[in-house]
Amino acid sequence: MTSTDSPSELSSALARQAESVASALCDQDARWGASGWTRRRFLSGMGMVGVAALGTQLVTTKVAYAAPNTASGNTLITVFLRGAADGLRILVPASDGLGVGYLRSVRSSLVPADADLLSLSGTSGWALNKAMAPLMPFWATGELAFVPAVSAHGISRSHFQAQQYLDRGGSDTASTGWLDRVLQQLGPGTTFRALAEGSALPSSLTGSQSKLVMNSLKNFAFPGWDGVAGASETAIRALYRGMPGPLGEDVPITLGALATAAKARAGAGVHNGAVYPSGNFSSALSDIATLLRAEVGLEVATVDVGGWDTHTDEAGDLDRALTSASKSLAAFLTDLGPARRKRVSIAVVTEFGRRVAMNASGGTDHGHGSVMWLLGGGLARADVFGRWSALSEATVASGDVPGLNSAFAVLGELAQKRLNVGSLSKIFPGQSVAPLGVASVY
Amino acid sequence: MTKIWPTADQAMHHAAHHAVAPLVWDPGSHLVSRFTFGPTAANRAYLVKHTVESWWQGQVTAGRQYSGYRGHAAVAAQGPLLSKSPSEVRAWLKAHGGEYGWEAMDQLSRVTLGLQVWSKAQLYETLVDFFSNHLNVANHNGDVWNTRHAYDRDVIRKFAFGRFSDMLVASSKHPAMLVYLNLAESNKSAVNENYGRELLELHTVGLGYSESDVKNSARALTGRTLYGDHRYVYDPDLHWTGPIRVLGFSHANVSATGGESVGDAYVRYLATHPKTAAHIARKLCQRFVSDNPSNALVSAVANAYLKNHTEILPTVHTILRSEEFWMTRGRKVRRPVENLIATIRVLGNPVSDMGKALDTLDWMSQSLGQRPLDWAPPNGYPDVAAAWRSSGTLINLWSFHRGFAQNWWDGFGKIKAESLYGSAKPKNSGQAIVALTKRLTGMTFSASHRAALQKFLAEPASTPLAKSNLQWYLPHLIPLILDAPHHALR
Repeated sequence: MTSTDSPSELSSALARQAESVASALCDQDARWGASGWTRRRFLSGMGMVGVAALGTQLVTTKVAYAAPNTASGNTLITVFLRGAADGLRILVPASDGLGVGYLRSVRSSLVPADADLLSLSGTSGWALNKAMAPLMPFWATGELAFVPAVSAHGISRSHFQAQQYLDRGGSDTASTGWLDRVLQQLGPGTTFRALAEGSALPSSLTGSQSKLVMNSLKNFAFPGWDGVAGASETAIRALYRGMPGPLGEDVPITLGALATAAKARAGAGVHNGAVYPSGNFSSALSDIATLLRAEVGLEVATVDVGGWDTHTDEAGDLDRALTSASKSLAAFLTDLGPARRKRVSIAVVTEFGRRVAMNASGGTDHGHGSVMWLLGGGLARADVFGRWSALSEATVASGDVPGLNSAFAVLGELAQKRLNVGSLSKIFPGQSVAPLGVASVY
Repeated sequence: MTKIWPTADQAMHHAAHHAVAPLVWDPGSHLVSRFTFGPTAANRAYLVKHTVESWWQGQVTAGRQYSGYRGHAAVAAQGPLLSKSPSEVRAWLKAHGGEYGWEAMDQLSRVTLGLQVWSKAQLYETLVDFFSNHLNVANHNGDVWNTRHAYDRDVIRKFAFGRFSDMLVASSKHPAMLVYLNLAESNKSAVNENYGRELLELHTVGLGYSESDVKNSARALTGRTLYGDHRYVYDPDLHWTGPIRVLGFSHANVSATGGESVGDAYVRYLATHPKTAAHIARKLCQRFVSDNPSNALVSAVANAYLKNHTEILPTVHTILRSEEFWMTRGRKVRRPVENLIATIRVLGNPVSDMGKALDTLDWMSQSLGQRPLDWAPPNGYPDVAAAWRSSGTLINLWSFHRGFAQNWWDGFGKIKAESLYGSAKPKNSGQAIVALTKRLTGMTFSASHRAALQKFLAEPASTPLAKSNLQWYLPHLIPLILDAPHHALR
């Protein structure tokens, strides 16, 4: 669709496209038989003209019929700090009222000195680890916020269980991830609607929704000698033509995405003077920035960052990791620029927090309440949201920060207000999701 | 409806000649696509001359002869830690740089991959893979750094050709499982329900138990814990006493010292429960037959499981004796690592350096998101096509196909592309396509699929080989055949 199309041409083109997609799928439905497609589901979604509005790389999954299009044009990115990042050294409760006295008494060498803290103006004494200085400009613009004491009922102190629990949205054994259920509820989208940067599908995206998993945009190209790439793609399309089932869908989707990826790559480049540090996290974010600029219809993206399990020598290890993560995130936001990042929200999560007291090895063991970072557009304001009880012998439940604020409430609020996902009852079943007021409606 | 015949050959002869396009009815390829990690030139040829039952007997014999890690000597040599006890591994690690190092877990995933590709005992390896996932303990997890390999050896591999009830009892006493599902920390005053629940839901009867069943299940198993050196021990002081009732099992459970035998009786009861039979039968049929096997087949396999006292081989053999099995060619999509391994097996890539070859397979399996034994949740890797949809995976596989055809990968020697034509050298471009597709997929491609490949070569089928673009394009045509649905399905 070019910008010269008049509104009426546009809408009739969209209707034609929707019609042809519907008939192609009807045909496919008839051939697929036993794999879960039913006529009823198909018919229940016939009012799907809006589907086509998302562009030519339509995702034709069965769930495309489940719901009307609710696309907001916004993007939600989740960054998962795997290994349980120590919230108390990230967002420091640095005033007496927040309990810094108690904190110093049980982990003195892990509480940064005043000179190594960046105070968060307008809060009751919260301060950031100085390693996060690159993010401070976004506090000034209302594009940075935090929620301390985050957890959810049912999260244990096992990395495995807790990660699964968060990824699967409130159950470590659910068969789908919460982001997959978000996609299902949003209805149809483009080939690039859901992206996991990494080598494998994260559990949050497990499920039947089509998604792209890629190691890097750079490698998302037809492999091998360029001289035969075009002819190879043509041959593969022919070999899969008319084939029903997931494979018959995914091969053309993938080949179709190659062109978009190449186009996006052609426009790759860092904007607005952003400087990405080296590393996988940076390159993943830079890929996402490139795709956002290319307007490929990205709705949700996930990136995993490992290395936060600081049982020993935490001060140095954690601060190095924080410096790198903060530089990467700051570069990403800068790269997007003020206008585009209004449509992009980022939630940085980790599976649980760490013990309040330091252990014998200069580190911290597995604890409970953690810190969530929120960045980008759509935040209500720069603030520290949610409940907090001043740290003291009495409030520190069995040595841990209590889980006063539900992780699912925060993620759910972002999904609702930024992606227009509607009800959260199927996304986080049985979880407490009363919003904390972190986000503004898109 | 499916009919079960006395022998696999009878079932094969009576089955309707069904296949999912573009695959065609081809019982030999079907058999080795399901019960091995992929056809090879040799195992396809075997089945032309022998019965299915003789193939099965050969694989049963091979599995007994090459059990454990004996299926391939050069692969096994890459896993020297796999024969050691947990405390020996820990001592070895301590002496080699780090007491908590992950070398034993690394060796386990690399050797597992190598045996899947090259072991002579392929049926055994497919069952090891199935039960590793059924009773999953995630490898590459800091909690099992010195015990996971022993679990593989002493629980899964030991009983893969034996009885499931014995495997299950062994798993309920293995340090790796005890740590993974928190049974080791469960005791009468703080009962941890994790293992008790998964034992019911994942390992045996499936969903359909009550919360009271879970509580009782967990109580019955308290006392199973570890000594400091990661040895299993039953500690009566930790055992919860009092009446136990789970499903149809009940026991007075009056003495702490008798608690271990109560637990064993309970686990054995679960192993022989009809719901367990149905649960395991359905998963086996999903593995070997189709994503949606018929209820009739599942119940026939479940009956065999019960009648044979949970013996795995006769249970699986029942699948082969069903008409339904022989009618499902192409109904499974190869999971990513299955596609990778089938590629190497069918191309026959030689190994120049086994250590490096296993490293190559290991990083490839990671990039495909299916490193063997590494699925984090306790339910094992999913086994249906819908779970594996990923564009990055498709591109990765297309890349790996090219690399194996064009000799890119570390640790592997060169294959000569021309050798894939077979003994009768093709006269022209069209014959070359026919010979290659037959050699790589066991079948002749349809006219339209041949035309797609012919178009790739940008010349008519009649082009003499000496003048054909194949001189340059052969190494690019081979991967294209492996990209096709003919190789992606099994």
